[in-house]
Amino acid sequence: MRRPREGATGRARDASGYRIGVRASRLLLLAAACGVLLGLFGPVAEPARADSERVVRVGTEGVYPPFTYRDPDTNELTGFDVEVVRAIGEEAGWDVQFVEAPFDSLFPALDSGRLDVIANQVTINDERKARYLFSTPYTYSHGVIVTAVDTDDITTLADLKGRTAAQTASSNWAQVAKDAGAKVKYVQDFGPGVALVAQGRVDAIVNDNIAVLDYLATSGNDQVKIAGDAGDEVLEQALAFTKDEPELRDEADAAIQRLTDDGTLARISEKYFGADVTQREGSTDVAVGASDARSRWEVLQDTAWPMFRGMLKGTIPLTLVSFAAGLVIAVAAALARLSSIRPLDWLARVYISIIRGTPLLVQLFIVFFGLGQIGIKLDPFVAACIAFSLNVGGYAAEIVRASILSVPRGQYEAATSIGMDYWQSMRRIVLPQATRIAVPPLSNTLLSLIKDSALASLVLVPELFREAQITAANTFEYLPLYTMAALYYWVLCYLVSLAQGPLERRLSRHLA
Amino acid sequence: MNTPMSDLIEVRGLTKSFGEHRVLKGVDFTAAAGTVTVLLGPSGSGKTTVLRSLNVLETPDAGLVRISDASIDFSDPPADKSAYRRAVKALRMRSGMVFQAHNLFPHKTVLGNLVEGPVQVQGRDPEEAMSAARELLAQVGLAGREDAYPGQLSGGQQQRVGIARALALRPEVLLLDEPTSALDPELVGEVLAVIRDLAAEGQTLVIVTHEVRFARDVADQALFLDEGVVAERGGAEVLTDPREERTRRFLQRVLDAG
Repeated sequence: MRRPREGATGRARDASGYRIGVRASRLLLLAAACGVLLGLFGPVAEPARADSERVVRVGTEGVYPPFTYRDPDTNELTGFDVEVVRAIGEEAGWDVQFVEAPFDSLFPALDSGRLDVIANQVTINDERKARYLFSTPYTYSHGVIVTAVDTDDITTLADLKGRTAAQTASSNWAQVAKDAGAKVKYVQDFGPGVALVAQGRVDAIVNDNIAVLDYLATSGNDQVKIAGDAGDEVLEQALAFTKDEPELRDEADAAIQRLTDDGTLARISEKYFGADVTQREGSTDVAVGASDARSRWEVLQDTAWPMFRGMLKGTIPLTLVSFAAGLVIAVAAALARLSSIRPLDWLARVYISIIRGTPLLVQLFIVFFGLGQIGIKLDPFVAACIAFSLNVGGYAAEIVRASILSVPRGQYEAATSIGMDYWQSMRRIVLPQATRIAVPPLSNTLLSLIKDSALASLVLVPELFREAQITAANTFEYLPLYTMAALYYWVLCYLVSLAQGPLERRLSRHLA
Repeated sequence: MNTPMSDLIEVRGLTKSFGEHRVLKGVDFTAAAGTVTVLLGPSGSGKTTVLRSLNVLETPDAGLVRISDASIDFSDPPADKSAYRRAVKALRMRSGMVFQAHNLFPHKTVLGNLVEGPVQVQGRDPEEAMSAARELLAQVGLAGREDAYPGQLSGGQQQRVGIARALALRPEVLLLDEPTSALDPELVGEVLAVIRDLAAEGQTLVIVTHEVRFARDVADQALFLDEGVVAERGGAEVLTDPREERTRRFLQRVLDAG
């Protein structure tokens, strides 16, 4: 899977100089305090399961119209898959709770127990069958090939040999394109893939006929076309469960049977596709109306508030909590680095080296998906806070250390000579002076963190950029929406940088 | 201890090495309460190290340091870490240190510098510490500058604040490490005047200095250090009419330079 964004860049510089003798017991106390702080972010409890209605967490993209998307008018999650799974849940007595995440994150989330089921047009294939349990199919579709409108030498799968195709990594269509001999470029979801085709950067894209028809109807994009069918094979889409949940699957199958019998599934399908795609014969002749018919200006207006809310409830709290916790970690790591106790110094070096030597995105995925697999299931916001705090801690540790070293040795001696112990000297004399030195570089760290917080959108945290992505996926208005997101970040960073001047002046007021 | 308790300060067999370099090779001296002891000697002779050992800013390798009723035998220090720390703190609180570069806390006001130790370390009442600090500032001629930051003062004023800060802890001994060496020549006089007043009031002083003429005026005892040992010890006459040839040569050199 290719991700366009990179982790934080290097910010701290190294400095060498004197070492301050540290008393082990005290520093361990501080380390313990940090431990407690991290403990606040402890694993969240599994959702409580009422006796009557079992909570079933359903993973879905929310950005794949007409199957799963936000209604442009109400911003409510809707779509064919969403309605089907709601109907199944009602029939089976589930308390359905939707969790929205990018498609590539859904299976890891299912594996790590954050989800009970995926409802997202998951096509049944052999590899998936080996790992997961599937319900009775509720959609039958076939693949089509999408090309730029002026491409005329691709009409069948065989024509894809040696050409490039834009596909989602974990989608079955990627395998179809690969089997046809195409060179696959991985994209995050369908929309960006089509954009690449329209821009001529990629030759083709293989996808579900219904999704493509919806895209064409909604976007009005006349730069791409359906160039042909991707083989005769009819594909089956179904709900995916883990192998540990056969009862849940059986409940779903029973519900699907009843919903088929009473015509509910057919009714939902007619509503979206003008045909019954829940039956094998139905997929060939669907008529898709646009799932989003708003103008570009209306889209921006409608998204302005959700993005602002994402900033207030996601981006800002995430940044503040992570920065505060990160600074505590940074001071502890800096003191450990300056300690005369070798193992502490060594430990801090390893920590800083790992944080600075690995991408922030990888750190985030390890905390969220990785730890989830070994039973440490953290709430998305908490997981993001931990990853960002540790990252800030690693970078800021070197800033704090350099700042401490820039305070003249004589200050520490003067504090010692008036009877202060190590911690009094640090707290009353050295750190206040180091703070003045550290503010400009730490402001940089804070600004970077605000921007890096956009990465949290990839681990299900509903923040500013995630809101932009959701709307962009439904409306294909990439340029205006992402520009608006950039504007929000820029304004936020500008406001923060405005506060830097007064803070520096206040900390420098003793300098004549 | 068979030393008479009339000696406020006692130093015996003090040794200290920095790496391979032996700075102190066994320094002994005593000083009575209310006296002024001047340490002098060429650079590298160990005089500053002796002074800093009295405050445990340097940890001697061996030897005894006693000020009043607090002492540490560095040849056999308390094995228990917290007992050792208590002993160091007790010894430190018997003396106040005045640094060559004053080392005032730049982020605190003049008054803040003076009350920091009394309030934070000695746990004295802030109101009481502040009024005592004001008196000290008046004594060193800086009444009215309580709210200035050190950066706003001249070098001579800064050093007088440094002396007042050391005195604020009410130490039995004031240690001064070349208190005028970093000053412009025209500012030296005001600092020496303050030190002279303290000597006249009976404050016990130990001074490392190159100001030989000043030392002659105030010294009750002079120690000439050379290559890590006390080469000559006596009264103020050491500074005018030394017995040792190397003391004589050193004094001549300093006086010629001054």
